[in-house]
Amino acid sequence: MDKSSQVIAMYLLVHIGLIFFTYPADVIASLSVGHWSAILLGFACHFTLLGIYTKGLSRFASQNLIDIFRGTGKAFAVVLLFPVMAYLFMTMVVTVRVYAEIITVVFIGNTPIWSVMLLVVAVCALISSFGVESLFRTGVLVAILFLPLLLAVFILSFQNADWRYLLPLIDERSASFSYVFRRPYLLSQFAFAGGFVFLGFIPSYIPYERRKVVRASFLLLPLFLISVYIPLLTFGEDTAARFQFPFIMAVDTVDVSWLMFDRVTVFFMISLICFVLLYLSLAMWKTVLLLRSGIPLIRPVQANASLAAVLYIVCALIPDWESVERLLGWNLFLLAYVTMVIPLVTFLLGLRRERMGAARP
Amino acid sequence: MDLLAFLKTRQEQDADLFLHRMFVADQSVVLAGFKSLIDLPQTMMLLQQQARNTVASERPLFALESGIGTCIRDADERRVMEAISEGDLILLPESVPLCIRIVPVNRTLTRAIEAPTTESVLRGPISAFNEDLDTNLGILKKLVVSPRLRTRSFWMGSDVRRHAVLVYMEGRIDPALLTAITQKIESNQETDVPDLMALTRLLGFPKWTLVTRYNTTELPQNAASALSKGKAVLLLDRFPFAIVLPSLLLDMFFADNDMNFPLFYAVSFRFLRMVGVLTNVLLPGLYVALVSVNPEVLRIEIALSIAGSRSEVPYPALVETLLLLLILELTLEASIRLPKTIGPTITMVGGIILGQAVVEAKLVSNILIIILAATTIANFAVIGFHNATTVRLGKYLILFLSAVYGLMGLFVGTVVLCAYIAKVSTFGIPYVYRWRARDRNG
Repeated sequence: MDKSSQVIAMYLLVHIGLIFFTYPADVIASLSVGHWSAILLGFACHFTLLGIYTKGLSRFASQNLIDIFRGTGKAFAVVLLFPVMAYLFMTMVVTVRVYAEIITVVFIGNTPIWSVMLLVVAVCALISSFGVESLFRTGVLVAILFLPLLLAVFILSFQNADWRYLLPLIDERSASFSYVFRRPYLLSQFAFAGGFVFLGFIPSYIPYERRKVVRASFLLLPLFLISVYIPLLTFGEDTAARFQFPFIMAVDTVDVSWLMFDRVTVFFMISLICFVLLYLSLAMWKTVLLLRSGIPLIRPVQANASLAAVLYIVCALIPDWESVERLLGWNLFLLAYVTMVIPLVTFLLGLRRERMGAARP
Repeated sequence: MDLLAFLKTRQEQDADLFLHRMFVADQSVVLAGFKSLIDLPQTMMLLQQQARNTVASERPLFALESGIGTCIRDADERRVMEAISEGDLILLPESVPLCIRIVPVNRTLTRAIEAPTTESVLRGPISAFNEDLDTNLGILKKLVVSPRLRTRSFWMGSDVRRHAVLVYMEGRIDPALLTAITQKIESNQETDVPDLMALTRLLGFPKWTLVTRYNTTELPQNAASALSKGKAVLLLDRFPFAIVLPSLLLDMFFADNDMNFPLFYAVSFRFLRMVGVLTNVLLPGLYVALVSVNPEVLRIEIALSIAGSRSEVPYPALVETLLLLLILELTLEASIRLPKTIGPTITMVGGIILGQAVVEAKLVSNILIIILAATTIANFAVIGFHNATTVRLGKYLILFLSAVYGLMGLFVGTVVLCAYIAKVSTFGIPYVYRWRARDRNG
């Protein structure tokens, strides 16, 4: 039975969760005119890598990344996959910490950050311990419940848009792509990059059609555009650049007189955080999978619990926001590795397999 | 004649057992059975009639093919007692060492077919299942007139035996599901099944769960439609509900009866039920979150009016909500136990307490009354009492999370519930699966 819809739901949710917080600020910081070029460039890279990655994977029916790399040699697999695990762990640490910070700052000022992190880590550990199948089904349920809410917020967020801020469309900097290697732009790639690695870990009992997933990625493009352009259209470039979370600020300006709630943002943000929870659960599940393929003796429950404990302790040890930023910077290298090397290697292995298959009819 | 001797000693311990000596076509026989289950005079008349016919056609009376009953081969004490306790008549001829089992005229020990008592039908067949297995099967067969209908009979239990019939439609049911169910039943046939909990164990489902893996329905119409969708229906003797396997999330919202209405209505009913479940699960948590953790989310006018109504309530919103929820749950539980004649009393007392007095005594705020009334009403918008119970517990998780983490807790609780629901599966069929009827014969 085709489970593409589950995979697509998960793919969309994971990315939506990542787009709206830091991505707009990073893009707005990386250039002042013609943000669309940065968005489109990022999306084109994402699309290409996604295509290459899934193409490579599709050559290995019913095998996941670990099996594929193992097929070439154990040492090869360890060397290639250890950074992936490190990346996943780092991402989890940073994400838990960043989102816990956001939660405490925005909604529950009185609750200490350790208890928020405890909630996040515990819920993620619970969901990931239920296994990947239920994780994907959870994704669909959450999408059904929360996406209508998000859609409403997207529509409402155009309330204060001033379309004149669209202009000027382009300048020399955006046309020449000179922003590409600057830090804010690279950081913005987090929104594109971290999400799709999970496609390689999907077990064979969740069959999906590669084409549908690749096609579904186009649904993300308007979201990327909205996330950057809503704050730009609402505040103008100069003001938008001053905010830490420009999109959230833009939604905060929305006033709906017929609604009993004053701040639509809160619901929007919490929905996004729930998507991030799913992203974290997925990352945790992947890490446990990698852990167990490295140490086969460890039982899933133990692996899950110990990973959650370590994750929580590491998160609690991070003292302040500056250390988080430093971690984010370090993670860029791993990020580059995971988003570039892993899809390319998978693709090349796929090609090699096809050649061998052709040579050996 | 050691069987007869055994039955005689047995009779001393069991006053209900009769041993009746009579002549059937000039042969002396002993009849054995339970007085309480068998209508003896009628049965004897029938027996005489049959015997006369047999003699008239010049066939030997106790030959196997003469057809007054089935012969129990290698009759031992256990088998004879089993036959007797199943309500059959045992005939022991004195001349030949035989033991014949006869289907007697039974006493009527079952109520007539009535309207359902736990589910109501607005448009659709109104007769409901009752305690008699054969009656239930009969009603079901009347509704599903199809050559594909198959039944499998099982006797479960070793100490206390219980008859069960598994009904399914060949070519509609997934063979894997059928095999899974029959294997479970067959391998655990010695387990006694006094209640559905035991059945849960027998079928290998976890005991500690929020979601029952099967639906029970009193309406033959529902069972019939489940059959034609490819589900399996298990009928237990003395249990006036059909057990439909597997249960799915959408069964909570989609009643078969909806399809007796135009599609617009059917869709809106279903939507309403979904809103009902969400209301029931989320509303108390939302109240607590908004009042005690995130009041800034509300419009200032509403925030002030809620704060005003709570100004004299001495404890936090969580305690307030729990207190009133407890009373509501007690009212629900009590009204199940109450005899019908004093049922209105509790409604009145409950109404006064919950409606007016508790607010005037400043124990809870009046907005909470509105919220909890909506919650309780919404709870029973779902189909089936077991589903209403399933929904009932979920709100407490969300309530506690909301009290600690506010709106964040509310949403996270929802995600956790979603994850739990997504985890549940019955014989490999996920609870959140959208069941599609399909023809598996091509």
